[in-house]
Amino acid sequence: MLVTTKRYADVLVVAAAGRIDYQNADEFKAALMPHLENCGAGRDQVVLDLSQLDYISSAGLRVLMIAAKEVRARQGKLLAVTLQPVVREIFEISRFTLVFDIFDSVQEALAKISPLALAAYESKSP
Amino acid sequence: MIEALPPAASASWRARLARPRALGVVFLLALCGLQLLADTPVQSWLREGWFDLYQRAMPRQRVSAPAVIVAVDEKSLARHGQWPWPRTLIAELLDALAAFRPLAIGIDVVFAEPDRHSPGRLAERRPDVDAALARELKRLPDNDAVLAAAIKRLPVVLGVAGTYDPGQGLPPRSKAVFRADGNPLPSLWQFPSALKSIDSIDQAATSRALLSTDAGSGVVRRVPLIAAVASAAFPALSLETLRVGIGADVIAILADTNGIESVVVGDAVVPIERDGHFRVRYSGHDPGRFVSASDVLAREADAAMFERKLVLFGVTGVGLLDQQATPVGERMPGIEIHAQILENIFDRDFLTRPRWTRWAEAALVALLGAALVLAVPAVRPLHSSWLLLLEMAALAVLGAALFRYTGVLFDAALPALSLNVLFGGLLRATLAETARQRERLRRELEAQREAATKIAGELEAARRVQMGMLPVAAQMFDGERRFELHTYLDPAREVGGDFYDFFMLGESRLFFLVGDVSGKGMPASIFMALSKALYKSTVLRGLGDLGQIMWHANAEISRENPELMFVTALACVLDVETGELAYCNAGHETPYAPPRAGKSVSRLAGGGGPPLCMLEEFPYETARYRMSPGESLVLVSDGVTEAMNPAGELFGRPRLERLLSAMPATQSAEQWVNTVRDAVREFSAGAEMADDITILALRWLGKQ
Repeated sequence: MLVTTKRYADVLVVAAAGRIDYQNADEFKAALMPHLENCGAGRDQVVLDLSQLDYISSAGLRVLMIAAKEVRARQGKLLAVTLQPVVREIFEISRFTLVFDIFDSVQEALAKISPLALAAYESKSP
Repeated sequence: MIEALPPAASASWRARLARPRALGVVFLLALCGLQLLADTPVQSWLREGWFDLYQRAMPRQRVSAPAVIVAVDEKSLARHGQWPWPRTLIAELLDALAAFRPLAIGIDVVFAEPDRHSPGRLAERRPDVDAALARELKRLPDNDAVLAAAIKRLPVVLGVAGTYDPGQGLPPRSKAVFRADGNPLPSLWQFPSALKSIDSIDQAATSRALLSTDAGSGVVRRVPLIAAVASAAFPALSLETLRVGIGADVIAILADTNGIESVVVGDAVVPIERDGHFRVRYSGHDPGRFVSASDVLAREADAAMFERKLVLFGVTGVGLLDQQATPVGERMPGIEIHAQILENIFDRDFLTRPRWTRWAEAALVALLGAALVLAVPAVRPLHSSWLLLLEMAALAVLGAALFRYTGVLFDAALPALSLNVLFGGLLRATLAETARQRERLRRELEAQREAATKIAGELEAARRVQMGMLPVAAQMFDGERRFELHTYLDPAREVGGDFYDFFMLGESRLFFLVGDVSGKGMPASIFMALSKALYKSTVLRGLGDLGQIMWHANAEISRENPELMFVTALACVLDVETGELAYCNAGHETPYAPPRAGKSVSRLAGGGGPPLCMLEEFPYETARYRMSPGESLVLVSDGVTEAMNPAGELFGRPRLERLLSAMPATQSAEQWVNTVRDAVREFSAGAEMADDITILALRWLGKQ
């Protein structure tokens, strides 16, 4: 499990890679939560980039749920990007698709929430 | 020498060092204090014995021969008869010596009574001598007068013997003039009086000197060079003979703030100790120092031996007296010790024990002891005993070198003993500490085991309670012919977050539920118990269809959820008469319907919503399915689909679907449960169980 962050204008893209299960869910939580402190209406938006995530267990889903509640309490927005079929299926079965707005790519997610961030993203990755 | 230790052990290792080292420091300070302050008989016995070893191992080499001893030896006794000799014979001896012009003659004899060999006294004692002869004899010169006359012709120093009796008449005085810094008398060896020769002889002598030596311990290590007789300073025979020999009048006693430190005669400065004693640096017994009295009397002695020498006259014949034990391990006549003192003085070859030696000894004990304090608790006993040996050898070498080259008496014995005592104490403390630590570890381990047993016992109890909360289908549906229901639940730990429930709603409606609290173990199990109870009570309140029940359950379970846990739940109601199934899935695994006659496995999707506690006020929807008679449903938790093999692969939904397809569609609910359970077991054999596993199979048998 590896958590990295990138900033595009007012959007923070938090990317999680590898597997998140019972063993490292707390670690994932500790890595994720500090990035949510600055989000909120008129402030940062957060996009979870899960395209490199191979697997997430229910313990990992619980962390995502806590993150979603946190962001919602701050009037912010948490978007998720998923590509891998396994993770997508887990999301569908657990109906996390109802909790997060899901996109197929970071670009799509950015286009939805912030033209500024999209411009920054496109200039950085041609 | 310090052994390498694993870093994990270093903390307890340091703790293990601390106690013996603290004890060692206290012990060491006590030993240093003892070294510095106390002077017990044991300490001085040990110290003097050690100094004797130096003397024996490295005896002084004779360089000059300032004194020659004229000895009344065996040969003299054989030729001239038994001692005491007639004093005329001694006078004759002195006259013979006079020819050699000695610087001075010190006589180690006290002529305390009149000579009974004097002719007049002989006549008195022999009544058989006739009166005429007696008169003739009495007219002859008295022997004592003859000796006195001989003494008067020479620079003779006569001996006196210190006595503890007050004595008769005035105590004798030496002729030496003393000059002293302050008053040295109180610290000197005290005699109330002294035994001197009879007046006629005594008054003929140039001076008087004290013969007494201090042989309290049996070994003559120190000789008083100055003593006090009836509150007057008195020189020893060696010193006074020297003074007379070199023609000096004055003996100066030098003192510093700590007391007497030396005597000065002419240009000779002789270090002495505070009580006036001189430490003799011995060479072995040497016959070369001696000339037989009979040889002198026979005029056969070599004149060169006496030229400008000091002569000491004494009795050495064995059996007569005066054989003294010395540190060099030989007995020698007392007169030879006087001669050796004179050799020490002439060669300026002295033994001293300056005040700083005591401080240096204590400082070395502190230094070498500190090394032991550091080392002994930290290294193996074998290694630290090598260190001790090395330190003792260093002390011995230092002491020997100081003795050999400077004459300073450095005590290595007592410091070595102190170090040994310290070493022993440290070793004991270290071993005791090791044993203590071992005992402590043993107790800790025991306590841990007890605690673990206790927790295991509590977990086991919790497991029994949790399992007891789950209904047993065989009991509840005993004799039921409309359907079969079978369950299996295996927590990954003793307790878990999975649960199921089932009960009849009225006569013909069967409610059943499979749930899964996020996480596993104790926290999940507590939330599971709450969820199951709340869900059941919600159902029993009869609040509408399954979607509405789910909505209420969501509200109930979300209410007290500070840890933000969530619960997936799949709730179903089967009309056992018609096969009509209503279900609502809150984020749980979809139910599987094993294939019937050529169809593939179907998964009952649709309806439902996210897990409970995820979104408040979510409008859960009810979905419906019509079961065929004999058809089965298999409900699982994600512990099944996400079971892992040792390679890290997931059991997965495709594998589950293939498994269900491969089985005869008509097998019983129990067989379905066992099929899935065994497959998961086989798949994940050898891997740690990742999550709780729950399987519930329902077979509707159709309208009866």
